Amino acid sequence: MNLAIKELRRTPGRFLPVTSAMTLLVVLLTVLGGFLDGLELSQTGSYRAHEGKSWAFSAPSELQVRRSVIDANTRAELTDSEGVIAVGQLSQVTTTAGTEEAGLDADALRDVVFLGYELATGVLPEPPVEGVVVDQALSDLLAIDIGDDLLIGPNAEPLEITAFVNDVSQGSPTVWASTESWRAVLGVMATDLPPEGASQVLIIEADSSGVLAPAGVQIADTDEVIGALATVQQQSSTFSGIIGVTFVVTLIVVALFFALLTLERILQYAVLKAIGANTRDLLKTLVTQAAAISTVAVVVGIALSFIFIAFLPPDLPLRIEPYRLVVIAIGTLVTALLGSLFTFRRINRIDPAEAIG
Amino acid sequence: MNTLVVDQVSKIYGEGDQQVKALDQVSLEVASDELLLLMGPSGSGKTTLLTISGALLRPTDGSIQVGGSELTKLDDKELSKFRNDKIGFVFQAVNLIPFLTARENLLVVRSLGGGKVDAGAKKRAEELLDELGLGSKGDNLPSQLSGGQQQRVAIGRALMNEPAMLLIDEPTSALDSELGRQVMELIRDEVKNRDIAGIVVTHDERVLDFGDRIVEMVDGKIT
Repeated sequence: MNLAIKELRRTPGRFLPVTSAMTLLVVLLTVLGGFLDGLELSQTGSYRAHEGKSWAFSAPSELQVRRSVIDANTRAELTDSEGVIAVGQLSQVTTTAGTEEAGLDADALRDVVFLGYELATGVLPEPPVEGVVVDQALSDLLAIDIGDDLLIGPNAEPLEITAFVNDVSQGSPTVWASTESWRAVLGVMATDLPPEGASQVLIIEADSSGVLAPAGVQIADTDEVIGALATVQQQSSTFSGIIGVTFVVTLIVVALFFALLTLERILQYAVLKAIGANTRDLLKTLVTQAAAISTVAVVVGIALSFIFIAFLPPDLPLRIEPYRLVVIAIGTLVTALLGSLFTFRRINRIDPAEAIG
Repeated sequence: MNTLVVDQVSKIYGEGDQQVKALDQVSLEVASDELLLLMGPSGSGKTTLLTISGALLRPTDGSIQVGGSELTKLDDKELSKFRNDKIGFVFQAVNLIPFLTARENLLVVRSLGGGKVDAGAKKRAEELLDELGLGSKGDNLPSQLSGGQQQRVAIGRALMNEPAMLLIDEPTSALDSELGRQVMELIRDEVKNRDIAGIVVTHDERVLDFGDRIVEMVDGKIT
């Protein structure tokens, strides 16, 4: 017989306050997690487009693309390295993009990150010989389509749009061209560009044996490169701190609730102990109830979060990722179980003789 | 044959100057098939004796045997199991689990200590409810039962595991005369029919004729 579930079903009002409080905390966790993921993903799309590849930076650059310069000799050395299948340049600058139709007023131009690349990935197609591959996010802002000309850079160089790709934003929308087109368009910004034959970083496709870094070069995978971004670090630490505090609040709410419930139930527990229950029987009741309450709170909380998010402005950087929901569900469940176990000592000390009075 | 043998048992509460001697070298035997009424003024030690006999409290000194088992040698876990298997309690305040039906209040005894509610347990609960005149009340919560009916459910719970000894604290204190006598009659019948030992702590002189023996306590001693 499951005492815990019978009590939950027959006296639901008793558990309503703690379930409601936990549900609201789950909503808070889901929305905060959505902002954390939304901000991070919208800053890192161009990096994630190279998932599974290795990155080569000049050593003093601290994995920052714009601080890095890799020369042609280093490229040749890496290309000849054992295990390396292909090496491609990657460079980027921040500039503007617009269309003839929208005009070239400052209000009509959009900030973009303009990248020159050589290697296709699972996300990016082969670099077009002429023209550009454009972030879908820019299509939404400029009402552009494949075949249209995009005016890029301070000279408004026209480049034909050959394809759109999703989820490649880097704070601003991104525009991708072949290294040659990229240099040609940005020729006037020569001071910002790496020397001829060099690039900011190299993208390396290698077999499973990995890549040995030549002297003066630092090799990193995509996750390490993303982790080194200052904005990602700041956002992650801030939101993770808030999410951590929310879990602590959840722990306190559950611990206080079960502490009060245990105080109310001392006579009932004493009776159960007197007729043969042991401490494990009683803890099992608490843990089962904590698990049931947190399960309801997670399901209802996540559902309410989706409803809440539907009413928020669509341009907010908020994305609900499945793994985040799994983390919140498991975190809430574990927190609730820990909270319920705070009463272990009190329950263990209940004297069955108290049942007699 | 004696089910309960209490031998030179003392119980002292507190320490130093605060010591209170609740039981003073008490010896008592209760046979199976015997209903003993334990009487005495408040503070005389009768509830302490009942509590120690039921393995809820350890004596400071002396020996307690129930069904041949020496209780003072059992650890807390063994005492829990012993209470579950061998002792039936009926508490003064009844103390049914409020969110369980009458039937579930009986069955819960079987589910404690890792036990399972099997078909045999369900059959036994139904038989007890019928026997106690509660056959139609099995699905009622305690709040839907009268005081007398709750008292009978508590007796059923105490008998659920076929105990060797039934310990009952003030069973008639909250009942009117007629109901009190009905409950005592029920307790006496259960003790006799099941061949178990029974101890009833009571102040109620209206029910003295139900006991096989009456023992009086004063100042922690049997007089």
